[in-house]
Formats: sequence, structure tokens, C-alpha cells
Amino acid sequence: MSNAARLTVVTGAAAPGRKRLTSILIHVALIGASIAMLYPLLWLLAASVRPENEIFSSASIIPSSFSLDAYFRGWNGLRTGFGVFFTNSFIISGLSVVGNVLACSMAAYAFARLEFKYKNFWFAMMLMTLMLPYQVTLIPQYVLFRQLGWVNTFLPLVVPKFLAADGFFIFLMVQFFRGLPKELDEAAQMDGCSPWRIYWKIIIPLSMPVLATAAIFTFIWTWDDFFGPLIYLSEMKSYTVMLGLRTFTDSTGESDFGGLFAMSVLSLVPIFLFFLFFQRLLIEGIATTGMKR
Amino acid sequence: MAMQDTSRSSTDHQPVVHTAWSRFWQNDAPGYLFLLPWLIGFLGLTIGPMATSLYLSFTDFDLLTSPDWVGADNYIRMFSNDPKFWTSMRVTMFFVVFSVPLKLAFALAVAMLLNRGIRGLPLYRALFYLPSLLGASVAIAILWRQIFAGDGLINKLLAMVGIIGPSWISNPNYSLWTLIVLSIWQFGSPMIIFLAGLRQIPTDMYEAASLDGASKWRQFVKITLPLLTPVVFFNAIIQTIEAFKSFTPAFIISGGTGNPINSTLFYTLYLYQEAFSFFRMGYASALAWVLLALVGLFTAFSFFTSKYWVHYDE
Repeated sequence: MSNAARLTVVTGAAAPGRKRLTSILIHVALIGASIAMLYPLLWLLAASVRPENEIFSSASIIPSSFSLDAYFRGWNGLRTGFGVFFTNSFIISGLSVVGNVLACSMAAYAFARLEFKYKNFWFAMMLMTLMLPYQVTLIPQYVLFRQLGWVNTFLPLVVPKFLAADGFFIFLMVQFFRGLPKELDEAAQMDGCSPWRIYWKIIIPLSMPVLATAAIFTFIWTWDDFFGPLIYLSEMKSYTVMLGLRTFTDSTGESDFGGLFAMSVLSLVPIFLFFLFFQRLLIEGIATTGMKR
Repeated sequence: MAMQDTSRSSTDHQPVVHTAWSRFWQNDAPGYLFLLPWLIGFLGLTIGPMATSLYLSFTDFDLLTSPDWVGADNYIRMFSNDPKFWTSMRVTMFFVVFSVPLKLAFALAVAMLLNRGIRGLPLYRALFYLPSLLGASVAIAILWRQIFAGDGLINKLLAMVGIIGPSWISNPNYSLWTLIVLSIWQFGSPMIIFLAGLRQIPTDMYEAASLDGASKWRQFVKITLPLLTPVVFFNAIIQTIEAFKSFTPAFIISGGTGNPINSTLFYTLYLYQEAFSFFRMGYASALAWVLLALVGLFTAFSFFTSKYWVHYDE
């Protein structure tokens, strides 16, 4: 608000009428851009509830009639139902959230609050992993998990989260923990609190915003992940929603677009709910730390 | 902590206290205990595999038989005798060179509009951010394939104004552009970072500039852009690395093939095919190290040149 307002006060050049016109033009441009950006999403939603023959004949986002048939068809459109895929996705994402928040907050606490030998070296190593393309570790990891007999289980997707494999979240939490007043730890330490108690009773309760941000992004990224499940899960009963969708496009998708779009919409619902209820947290998370998406 | 320890060790007359191990146990152990999960992961899932994959890149490993050392054959073949490698390199470079600057330009333009103190900022910001959040999903790639199909949404809309559009997805001249558009569509998160950066610029600088009669454009070029260069730099690095790693959209839209005529054969897609369709794991490891070298070179180059164009406050 203040930027533009103060500017015009100082310059005094823009006449009130002209300023009003500029403001209207900006809103028109922004509304137009919003509609253009959201149109594909609205069209997808419409395509999932409109009559099948209308999907390819209409560019409108208002269906001529409304039916949930495609959802029932799509839900059981493959040999294994989408109920199984959704359950799998929820299990994998849920466990990932627990693992990531726990392991990353522990590492972040060590980096932000404790002193130990070679700390700076390890911290630099952690930052290095942020830039590392996953392809470089992909094949040996695959061989390792295969030898452990973990292929076709959820373990290759979940265990790395319990080992804080995504350094980004450690970095996010280190930034937050460093902002907490150090006097709290010192006072607790005087009272004989162990580092573990300080972590669990002071740091964790005070860090709910950053932990929630990390939890939500972990959930969304794991939910969306396609590459990991593609490599490690080959039996349909262990498929995630993303793999189910991909199989749908390969097999029945060409004949049942309604069902495919209905399942696509369903797969976006959990992410959309997070957006709806936690967008403040998500946007702040991005603004303060520069999240990639 | 340190003071407690020294006082204790000087009053105790046990020599054990002075050994390296007990010093470690008193001073460093808590830190290492908290770091343990990460440390196991770092050694077992990052450093170990990195070393292994470097070794495998000099072998003919095929997952089933044990790897045989082939020297630099994989690298030589890649650069001298593998047209598909060069195709995938060209596709990826094209994608990076066009998607990243366009995405950032959009992000900055919209952020500038939103930063003028307009009403409804939180709503606009949320709406522009939504595609960023959803965009990586398989569902969106499926939607994109439909939108740009011959009988898809885009051509329906074009037909209304009398234009008969091609089948964008199956035409090698346009297929890669559909992926670039998909990437630009997700300009929301760099936009949010730009918005946060724009807020940091003190308003009195603009006031002084307009008192001196500087035009809006000159203010943008002389004040906004220089002060925003750290954010531009940051966004450019993050988005470029992401663009190099992009996989899912190309995989879904081309059905895992990189077609038509390899026009969407991203480097990551080619690597996946080599590793998991043909089980040429040694060759795929070599591809991975070339990718790492590429990303590393790009990052080093950016940091090296940044001192000439990125403006940091003292």
C-alpha cells in the first residue's frame, strides 16, 4: 500500500483521475491473468463431471449437465482400485512427514544449538547436498535397496526421510531455530536440563510454524513424487496414486477420458486442501527461505 | 558447558577424564547423537552411492552381472558416438534457456504489478501461486497433454477466432514448447520470492528519485533492478537446477518415450531409459556424472560472474 501512495504524495504529478484509471487497468490485467491461469484447472474439473461426449467438443468450463459417473468409473477403472492407491499414497506420505520432521529437526537442532567438533564441515556438506542432482546417487541406491530386498515395498521411499535425506528442510529449520532466544537454552541448562530435554520441551514446542511448514511441504512433495515410486514399485497393489494415473493413461485412458480426469481431480484434492487451509504458512515459507515451488 | 567440564576434570584426579574419548563424550557426543540420523543418511545414501556411481561409470554394469572395468569407454562413447546423448543435451539446454528466463520475467512482472499497493493482494498472490503448488503433479501433465492435443482445449479456443491449430503435442516443432509453457505457468513461487525482495527496497529511494525527476522506467532500471539482483540471482540458480532435473512432465506427456522424434527427450528421461529400460547402469552412471558436472559448472560460473552484476549491501 504505502509504496504507491507515498510516491504519488511526493511527486504530486499524477492526477487523481489518471491514478484511478491506472489502478483499474492493473486490476483488469490481473483478473485476466488469473482467469487465463486457472482456466485449465477449471476445465479439468468441468471435464470430470460433464457428459463424456462433451469433453472433446466443449471449451467451456460450465458443463451442460452434472454427473459423478466418471468418478465411480475411474475409481474402479483399473484391475486394482484407486482406493488401494490412495491408501498407499497416504501411508507413504504420512510416514515421510513423521520421518522428515523428526530427523531434520534433530539435525537442525545440532547445527543451530549444539557445539561439536567438525560442525562447520558437516554443515558445509549438508549445504552441498542441496545442489546435488539425485541422478548421481540413484543407481547405487537402487542396487543397495534391491540387495536389501526392499524393492516393491515402501521402505526405499520412506527410510531416507527418517535419515533426513532432504537437506533443504534441515536448512529451513536451522534458520528458524537460530532465531529463538538463546537464553531459554542457557536457563534450562542451568537447571540441569539435558540437550534432549531442551530439544523436546523447549525448541520443538516453540517451532510449530516451521515444523508445520516442513510437514506440509514434505507431504505435498511425497504425494506428488513420481520418479521414486516409478522405480521402486512395480506391483500394482503397491502403486501410489501418481503411478495409478500413469497406468490409467497407458491402458484405459484412451477410451475413458472422463474417468481419467475424475481421478486426476481426486489426486489434486489433498494438495488443494493444504493450499486452502495453510496458504499463509506455505507462502511465508517460500518468501522467507526461497522454496523451489 | 565448557567451564563446567574443565572445573570437573581439574578437581577429579582420574586420568581417564583427559583421554580423547572422554572429551568427545563430554563435549561432542550430544551434537553427534542428534546428527546421527542425518550422518547415517549422508554417508550411506549420499557419499557412499556417489563414490560407487563414479566407479560404476567406468564399468559396463548391467545390474545382473558383476561390473567389468571399461576405462573411459562410456564417456568416450557418449561424446563421440551417441547421437541420442547430444539430442537429449540439446533438448534440455533449449528447455533451460527458454523456460527459466521467461518464467522469471513473468514472475518479476507480476510481482511488480502486485507490489504497487493494490487491493486484494493476498487473493491474487494465492491464485498465481496455486499452479506452482499443483504443477509438478502427474495429473497436471495429463491435463497438459489434453489441452495441447489436436482436438484439445487450446485448439478449441483458437477455432473460435478462426485459427486451425496443429496438434501441438505430436508436432516436434511445438512439443517442447508445450513443456516450456507448463514451466512458465508455474511462475508463482519465484514471484513470491520477488515480492518479498521488492518489499525490502526502502521507499525513500524512490521518493528521492522522483524528486529528481526520474521516470518510472529509469527508477526500475536504476533502483529496483540493481537492488533486486541478489533475489534474481537466487531465483535463477534454483530454477535452473530444477529445470535440469525436470522429469515427470516430459515422461507423462510423451508416454515415457521422449517423442515425437525425441523432441522432448530430456536428459533425465534419457538417463532413466538407459538405466531402467535397457539396464545399461554403467553408462547411465556416466550420464549422471556428466549431469553433475554440468550443474556444477553452471553454479560455479554463476557464482564467479555474480560479483560483476549482483549488488550486495555492505
